[in-house]
Amino acid sequence: MFLQTLITGLSIGGIYALMAVGYSLVFSVLNFSNFAHGAVIMLGAYVGLALATKLNFGFGLVLAGSVAGAGIIAVLNEKLAYSSLRRRKAPSLYLMISAMGCAVFLENLVYATIGSRFYAFPEFFGRQVVTIFGSSVSLLDVGAFIFALIAILGLHLFINRTRTGTAIRAGVCDMTMCSLMGVDLNRLIAIVFLLAGAFAGVAGVFLGIKYLVYPTMGWVTNKAYIAAVIGGLGSLPGALAGGLILGVVETFVSTYISSVLRDVFSFTLLIAFLVWRPNGLMGIDSEEKV
Amino acid sequence: MNVSTGKFFSARDLTKHFDGIRAVDSFSFDVAEGSITGIIGPNGAGKTTVFNVVTGIYRPTSGKVLFRGENITGLRPDRVVRKGIARTFQNIRLFNRRSCLDNVITPLFQRERCSFTGSLLGTPGARRLERALYERAFELLRALGLERFASMQASNLPYGLQRKLEIARALATEPTLLLLDEPAAGMNPEETRSLANLIAEVREKFRVTILLIEHHMDLVMNICSPIVVMNFGTLLARGTPDEVRSNPDVVAAYLGKGKDRR
Repeated sequence: MFLQTLITGLSIGGIYALMAVGYSLVFSVLNFSNFAHGAVIMLGAYVGLALATKLNFGFGLVLAGSVAGAGIIAVLNEKLAYSSLRRRKAPSLYLMISAMGCAVFLENLVYATIGSRFYAFPEFFGRQVVTIFGSSVSLLDVGAFIFALIAILGLHLFINRTRTGTAIRAGVCDMTMCSLMGVDLNRLIAIVFLLAGAFAGVAGVFLGIKYLVYPTMGWVTNKAYIAAVIGGLGSLPGALAGGLILGVVETFVSTYISSVLRDVFSFTLLIAFLVWRPNGLMGIDSEEKV
Repeated sequence: MNVSTGKFFSARDLTKHFDGIRAVDSFSFDVAEGSITGIIGPNGAGKTTVFNVVTGIYRPTSGKVLFRGENITGLRPDRVVRKGIARTFQNIRLFNRRSCLDNVITPLFQRERCSFTGSLLGTPGARRLERALYERAFELLRALGLERFASMQASNLPYGLQRKLEIARALATEPTLLLLDEPAAGMNPEETRSLANLIAEVREKFRVTILLIEHHMDLVMNICSPIVVMNFGTLLARGTPDEVRSNPDVVAAYLGKGKDRR
């Protein structure tokens, strides 16, 4: 029971981490809360659903299609809704308001075109279970956790080793200075949104398979914001740690205490962190040396 | 290095308005290749705005920037850098949380062509490139006397050394024209003197032309020639240090006009 709960928690935490990573990446580069991230996750899930039900694609192709779809949607979102604000050097509050508008717009677009029905993915993994240390846990849970770990590790390597990753890290410090190092900012920001969207696509498919696909499913990203704050906004290892901690805590609370209290715990955790440790577990000290 | 007379850099009728304020107003000047040209002028004369327009941070309202026979007016900052113009800032802008070495490696890396998967997986080729970049970065740090601080976080460097690190990072973009915005700001006379030597050394060693804004008159008068004087966004005077020093308009702009002594 304990191990099952732990693995369920880690799997949910892995999905939170996937969402938090994309959100955190955009936050660290452009310094605004991209509230449209949830809508991109939702659209990614719908793309995956369409591929699975209309074209009968297998799990791998569904995942790939959803990654590509959500990636492109995120880039378009930036080009259409943020880039002109960014070029006019608008305060980040404006970007955040634009993001909220996008979230509401995209959600209602889905309501208007696809409808409010709840859809289920076909059962890719059936009820397959694997046995670990004598307890049986669902293959989907283990798979989601492992996949999240690998994807985030890959992103970590990308950020730390490649030329574009180096440019992203420079942009996190100072965007103008980054462009003065010879980096095309429009291209760089498009790459950041493509990555954030790709991670949103993965999260969307896993969420859709685990639960259901519906227009407001993107609001679960609230949990990703909490995970990002716990880990430290803008820190990738932090987003991973924050996601996993939140997932495990939530699952234990709903299993051993009460599922009604789950969100109360999550948001209490958020407030506690904001009050006592606003930089999160691995966040960068917000007090800059003057 | 010889100072050639050909058109290396010139700004023609450069104008930049901010909501009706003419920060720069039909300002024209040339920089000869190999020179150390100084821009001086009272606070608010529009000197830094000129740098911002030249490096593509602002688009000019009108006017032209010509560099090595090309019109670079209004290009994006990354395009301007790749044409060979680098700069430093009056208020130092380093990648604060990164090491000195990383600060210099960032622009070096951006100039390389490298395999994406190679870098991601850390293949031998990618490691070789990484080592080569480290060596070149280290050389740049050594040239500015910063090798001892290579692994120190940039924001922890003493102020004067941060300015040097910013110069090292600008040189890493392999410029032919280096713009220095008040490189001696906040330095004492002794530090200022050693900076003057360093700037002359950098020009020789890296074969760069230097355009600098400065308020320390002794620095400007010692190493800059010609000197361009700006006031209220326009050209006030231009000439050798001696010519500028004895120009009555310049004296008036700096010290204020006396009561009709004519």
